[in-house]
Amino acid sequence: MPWLLALPGAAALVLFHFLPIGFGGYYAFTSWNGLDDATWIGLENFRDIFGDPTARGALWHTLELAGCFVVCVNAIGLALALGLNRAVRTRHLLRSVFFLPVALSPLAIAFIWQWIFDYDGALNRVLGDAGLESWRRAWLGDPSTALWTILVVMVWHFSGLAMVLYLAGLQGISDEVYEATLVDGASSWLRFRRVVLPLLAPALTVSTTLTLIVGLRAFDQVMALTKGGPVDASETLATQIYKQTFYVGRFGYGAALALVLTAIITVLALTQLVVLRRNEDRL
Amino acid sequence: MGLSRYTRGTLARELVLILVAIVYCLPFYLLVAIALETTAQTFKTPLSFPWPPHFGNFSEAWSTGGDAGLGQALQASLVITLSSVAALVVLGSLCAYAIARRSGHLSPFVYMTFVLGIILPFQLAIIPLYVAMRQVGLVGNYVGMIVLNVGLLMPLTVFLYTGFIRSLPRDYEEAARVDGAGLLRTYARVVFPLLRPITGTVAVLLGVVVWNDFFIALVFLSGSRYQTLPVALYSFASAYVTQWNLIFAGVVISIAPILAFYVFAQRQLIRGFSGAVKG
Amino acid sequence: MAQVVLSSVSKTFHGGTRAVSDLDLEIANGELMVLVGPSGCGKTTTLRMTAGLEDVTEGEIRIGDRVVNSLDPRRRDVAMVFQNYALYPHMSVYDNLAFPLRARRLPKAEIRRRVERTAELLGLGALLKRKPRALSGGQRQRVAMGRAIVREPQVFLMDEPLSNLDAELRAQLRAEIAGLQRELEVTTMYVTHDQLEAMTMGTRIAVLREGVLQQEGPPQQLYDEPGNVFVARFIGSPTMNLLRGHIDRDGDTLHCILGGERLPLAASVSAGALGGYAGADVAVGIRPEHLGERSAEHGDRARLRGRVRFVELLGAERLVHLELPAEPVVPPEALASAGDAEEADVERSPRAAQPTAALVTARFDAHAGVDAGELAEVALRTDRLHFFDLTTRRAIR
Repeated sequence: MPWLLALPGAAALVLFHFLPIGFGGYYAFTSWNGLDDATWIGLENFRDIFGDPTARGALWHTLELAGCFVVCVNAIGLALALGLNRAVRTRHLLRSVFFLPVALSPLAIAFIWQWIFDYDGALNRVLGDAGLESWRRAWLGDPSTALWTILVVMVWHFSGLAMVLYLAGLQGISDEVYEATLVDGASSWLRFRRVVLPLLAPALTVSTTLTLIVGLRAFDQVMALTKGGPVDASETLATQIYKQTFYVGRFGYGAALALVLTAIITVLALTQLVVLRRNEDRL
Repeated sequence: MGLSRYTRGTLARELVLILVAIVYCLPFYLLVAIALETTAQTFKTPLSFPWPPHFGNFSEAWSTGGDAGLGQALQASLVITLSSVAALVVLGSLCAYAIARRSGHLSPFVYMTFVLGIILPFQLAIIPLYVAMRQVGLVGNYVGMIVLNVGLLMPLTVFLYTGFIRSLPRDYEEAARVDGAGLLRTYARVVFPLLRPITGTVAVLLGVVVWNDFFIALVFLSGSRYQTLPVALYSFASAYVTQWNLIFAGVVISIAPILAFYVFAQRQLIRGFSGAVKG
Repeated sequence: MAQVVLSSVSKTFHGGTRAVSDLDLEIANGELMVLVGPSGCGKTTTLRMTAGLEDVTEGEIRIGDRVVNSLDPRRRDVAMVFQNYALYPHMSVYDNLAFPLRARRLPKAEIRRRVERTAELLGLGALLKRKPRALSGGQRQRVAMGRAIVREPQVFLMDEPLSNLDAELRAQLRAEIAGLQRELEVTTMYVTHDQLEAMTMGTRIAVLREGVLQQEGPPQQLYDEPGNVFVARFIGSPTMNLLRGHIDRDGDTLHCILGGERLPLAASVSAGALGGYAGADVAVGIRPEHLGERSAEHGDRARLRGRVRFVELLGAERLVHLELPAEPVVPPEALASAGDAEEADVERSPRAAQPTAALVTARFDAHAGVDAGELAEVALRTDRLHFFDLTTRRAIR
């Protein structure tokens, strides 16, 4: 009876997820250019990836970016959540403020940052006015700072998301338990370390896993801020996938890159999930 | 002391956080300030608020942004977002209903496959999908984009709805069945109205995701007449490099709809995001 | 161990709600004082102010010889048992009990000693490794108590600790807690909405209503000499019957006209304050046990007649509800809405039909031959009547 109703859903799943992923996986092993037939070339794409400095760089940047992103976003998000959990009178307004960027297009917002970090932009101007000329840089134009500048933008953009998740977790801790720690005489640190943090373990798992996935997929901000430059200094797997497939036309190679990204995301996310779930009890 | 006690420490905390929030919002201030400047002003003193404000940038961005002007892009975004969300809500809730109400050995398996569909990243799927859809003529137009959005976001929609429907008591449906209503009628008249809270959350969440999407729209719509806002903005920015006042005017146009929506629907949005993730 | 003194304590919340008004209360060293009253009466707020979980708007709270108004909970040396136990869900019973001691940096050996001794005292020895979710309601309650006991504080504060348990468990733990408190001799402030708990456990009771102290004293005193209508009806189950009666004077004796009868009152009563009400109406309170079968036991004099509406068989006795030709005195809160659980009694329904009939409850022997529908006579102990002013609601003494 109801299986017919489920058809569109199931069809969507198969047609738009499993089937394409299957094909994509197949194309990764071919030298397809999107138009003619695909020729099987085995692992050659992958050898190219690990042989090409741009691709290797992209891989490395992706991991670096995602790793630092997860740490920063969760630390800041947790701090914000702890600060805005109770008592503060404007906390609802402040929560909305910090969450706002999450709802907005990362691309659109990134343009603002592009200007801020421009050589003639706000940051350098302020530094100059404050007498710190030596600190000025071509934040986005300098290969050594480009990726980290992107990191700052991403952290700013998504801290609100982590905050919201941790707030939900904090609100799951009953008021009574909290009051009990007050009467029992626990110091703030003890309360945090032995009561709040362990009870936040599920939220921590969810947040770190989600932010890891977001971090690994970074595309919008990179394209807006540096388009992957300068000199490929901020290329990520996501940007490479796009460029190789749709600029250069190497569909097979692009698929291989996508497969690598998929593999990384799946493996890392699952590992993290499993490890954290198991530690939820031990925290 | 007690939970809602407002001590000096709390005041200090509040002030610090307000300060942080102000600094956090600086980009928005800068955005508006510069969008209202003339090109000459941006070179001189871009940081102070321009007076009198110059609204010309907006009309220029509106008409020339992207290939057909941001105004056109706004329309494209609206059409695509509303249609996609509507289709997703109708089809997705129906599908979720079928899964949630079917108590059998197959259901957990089906449920898990949907979850898998959500977790797996779509980058890999995009490439074959692009080629396939190009052959069917679904690249570079509204229909294709809508179909694509619906397909890609269906698992998430079904997932969110299933959880909610499972927690609904069956009483209402059984009463309807006793009253002689068929399946579809029961669904449309009884179940769907009960889903209103989650539909609100889901619609908002999906709407934001679709509206802000860049990667997929870039692949499928760049160069066409029907660019969505992110794509149009991107090419606008590439074309008018360093004309920040124009670009920012474009950015303002891009984010204005969601910003306005946010003011009214923050709670929904926040709940939507955290609810989706909780699963 | 110390005494707790509240002087003119008031609490007004941000919205303007005045939860506690000008409360004066003294709990002597080692005493178990029960704060009792309907929901919203301010008892929990008072407890929380004593704990330091709420600010005191006006007045002073002293524990021992210290004024604690501005002290953090952790500096007040009080221990609290919460209504929902507030056990740390991720910690074992042992860790839950040890937590407050660890917070105070006690040496490990001392912690172990105290925890084990407390666990033994409460019968938790076998449960030390379990987590709260693996415990029954009663066991959790004991752990909550243990966490308070282990600290050896000056004062115990208990916030309706038994309200989440079923009746049987409640009865058992009532006795245990009272016994424990006597043994440990710790000054205790105990909050409940259940007047039975208050009566059985408290050294003294304080009845609160809408933030105002109604009366305080030993349980029996509140039962025998309620200071106003509220206390009279709140304490004692089944509730005291309240009827409208008229007082008139006949020489040296006062008579009370009630239920169609003219009842002479004892000399001591006639000579007292009631004399000032001659010619006026008063509220007359009669406890159900003072209405019963006519027998030598119930003495001579008064009787009232009425039709029995229904009878409740309790096994050990029978509660006879009969309708008297008298006007009931209805407390204002019962008029307003459904109100407290205590007030939702049967008096309401028949009242609408006949405004000058009152349903009263009388205690009869289990085997008395009284049944519904019959006309019955009840003997009344006129020396045990309570009189209240109709306007001020205060006892006339």
